[in-house]
Amino acid sequence: MQAQQEHAFEFTGKGWEYFKIWIVNLLLSILTLGIYSAWAKVRRLQYFYRNTRLADASFEYHGTPIAILKGRLIAFALLVIYTVAGNLNPLLAILAFVLLAAVMPWLIVRSLRFKLYNSSYRGLRFGFAGSDGAAYTVFLLFPILTVLTLYLLAPFTHYKIKQYQHNNSRFGDTFFRFDASAGSFYGIYLKAFGLLVLAGVFFGISVALHMPWLALILPLFYLYIAGFIAVRLPNLIWSKTGLGEHDLYSRMAVGKYLWIALTNLLGIVFTLGLYIPFAQIRMARYKFSCMGLLAQGDIAEFVAGQVQADSATGEETAEMFDLDISL
Amino acid sequence: MVAAQYFDGRTSAAQVVTLTSDGEWLQLRGEVLTRQWLMRDVKVSERLGDTPRRIELPDGGHCEVGDQVALESLLKQAGYRGSWLDGMQHSMRWAMLSAVLIIVAFAAAYRYLLPWGAGVVAQSIPPAMLQKLGASSLQTLDKLMLEPSKLPAERQQALRAAYAKLAALPDAQLDYQIEFRSAPQIGPNAFALPDGNIVMLDELVALTKNDDEILAVLAHERGHVEQRHALRMVLQSSAVGLVMTWYMGDVSSLLATVPAMMVQASYSRDMEREADDYASRSLSLNGLSPCLLTDILRKLEAAHVQRQGEAENNKKGSVMDYLAGHPATQERSALLCPAH
Repeated sequence: MQAQQEHAFEFTGKGWEYFKIWIVNLLLSILTLGIYSAWAKVRRLQYFYRNTRLADASFEYHGTPIAILKGRLIAFALLVIYTVAGNLNPLLAILAFVLLAAVMPWLIVRSLRFKLYNSSYRGLRFGFAGSDGAAYTVFLLFPILTVLTLYLLAPFTHYKIKQYQHNNSRFGDTFFRFDASAGSFYGIYLKAFGLLVLAGVFFGISVALHMPWLALILPLFYLYIAGFIAVRLPNLIWSKTGLGEHDLYSRMAVGKYLWIALTNLLGIVFTLGLYIPFAQIRMARYKFSCMGLLAQGDIAEFVAGQVQADSATGEETAEMFDLDISL
Repeated sequence: MVAAQYFDGRTSAAQVVTLTSDGEWLQLRGEVLTRQWLMRDVKVSERLGDTPRRIELPDGGHCEVGDQVALESLLKQAGYRGSWLDGMQHSMRWAMLSAVLIIVAFAAAYRYLLPWGAGVVAQSIPPAMLQKLGASSLQTLDKLMLEPSKLPAERQQALRAAYAKLAALPDAQLDYQIEFRSAPQIGPNAFALPDGNIVMLDELVALTKNDDEILAVLAHERGHVEQRHALRMVLQSSAVGLVMTWYMGDVSSLLATVPAMMVQASYSRDMEREADDYASRSLSLNGLSPCLLTDILRKLEAAHVQRQGEAENNKKGSVMDYLAGHPATQERSALLCPAH
């Protein structure tokens, strides 16, 4: 048994440095009526990837602006079809909705493939091997069942989505694994729900006691619940994700996260958005400072493997287009 | 000489190497490794702040270089030139200039492009669509805040007849009708629907001393309809909302609607003036004095001031002027009825 070694992630982006890149690219995006934004996106991702360091090496983003433009055209076409059909007649609207639901899982798989294939670390590419069939189960069947069960199934669906995503991701030829249980997802969702009920009880008390000012604390309650979900779920998901024999972890704290999110929001509002690049850097810095890799032995032993060798086919599909889908 | 990490692209192992160049060749030397490539065959990544730079090599491997200064001098020697954007992205002067240009672009788009675009779109909407929009907005208003009118049927009929006699300006496009309603919580008011129907509130009828004043208000509302003001406002505020959502990105969409609301209020100032102008021409055409509108505006203002119970309202003129949807009555009166 080799000794376990902890490698913490580090994010080295700097606010002013990113501000300069961001604002010049924003200007070019505006002057080109949005077309340049695909180039700006590549640059933004490159800046964030290259500033993300683990074990003395940084990540790299390889996506091309043209692929991103193609993805945006597809998304735009779908949006136009959906709105136009919706305005023409109800039957067409239903048809458009069904069409959209039918292509969405397929598009999500393409998007995941693009995203992972175009990310690399130490010269090895990431990849995604999820099948379309399984994608239709987790992105279409389970969400429908979730609605039918009045959202009782929501945590389970979330669990299945993450399981599908992480179990099918690989680095070089080494697959990630996802060891979380559906029960742990229910645990977090139930706690959040409990806090929500508590907020309701609190509101009831404030009404019963004729002290409406007590209800002013309610927004703080909701804020805490939002922060709780935004922190606890990623913590669970990443801490139960492994790469081969190595384990990952995420240890964000709700209070610290909320403080950063809130001050970021205020900064953005009071500078008319000029604080956006600083806010993004701050948040990335915090998130990555809480993440790391618990390595069993040497992390230099990953290999590219077969999949990367015959890159022609992989590249062909993965280079097709990118969709801005965040999961 | 540049210190770098070499990755061969087949394993994740890093090898410490040094890079040198004679201008034409790039030499790589490590503990077990000695290679060289033509400088023009290697691809050097764009400079992005202080991030490590990548040198992609023809063998499928790459080098990660943290030492920016050393690399820069090596590249200079080889005659490598950065892209035109390179200098801009790393200069504070360009950043500030960009900020100013972005603000100018937004301001210009907001002041000129947005009203013009909304006008073009609003004018191209077919009458059938306007009818649908008008009917559905009246339905919504009826549900939310309007009550049936308490005016006697004869009085309604008389006002309709008087309005029907009001000749339209030659460029008028729509048919006009009056809908009578009551809304105690809104107070004296009238508003135009996109299809040309005008909702007249009992409270306004009660405020007027003769039917000509009512006609003046109706002419004003007709100006709003002819110039598609309601539609333009909806189009403009949704466009602003869309842009704000895109720009603010992850900030909640709630915040994005706040500026849209402010835009609505300030736009209607221009629109009120346009509608006043339309009413003035319309009244003149019918042999009525534009001062009628001035009179009823005064009364409306007085009624609203009274409703709010704010006697100091007038003293705060400058602030109110800016915040209010309607331009100050005095300003409008001077334009409509200079002799008054």
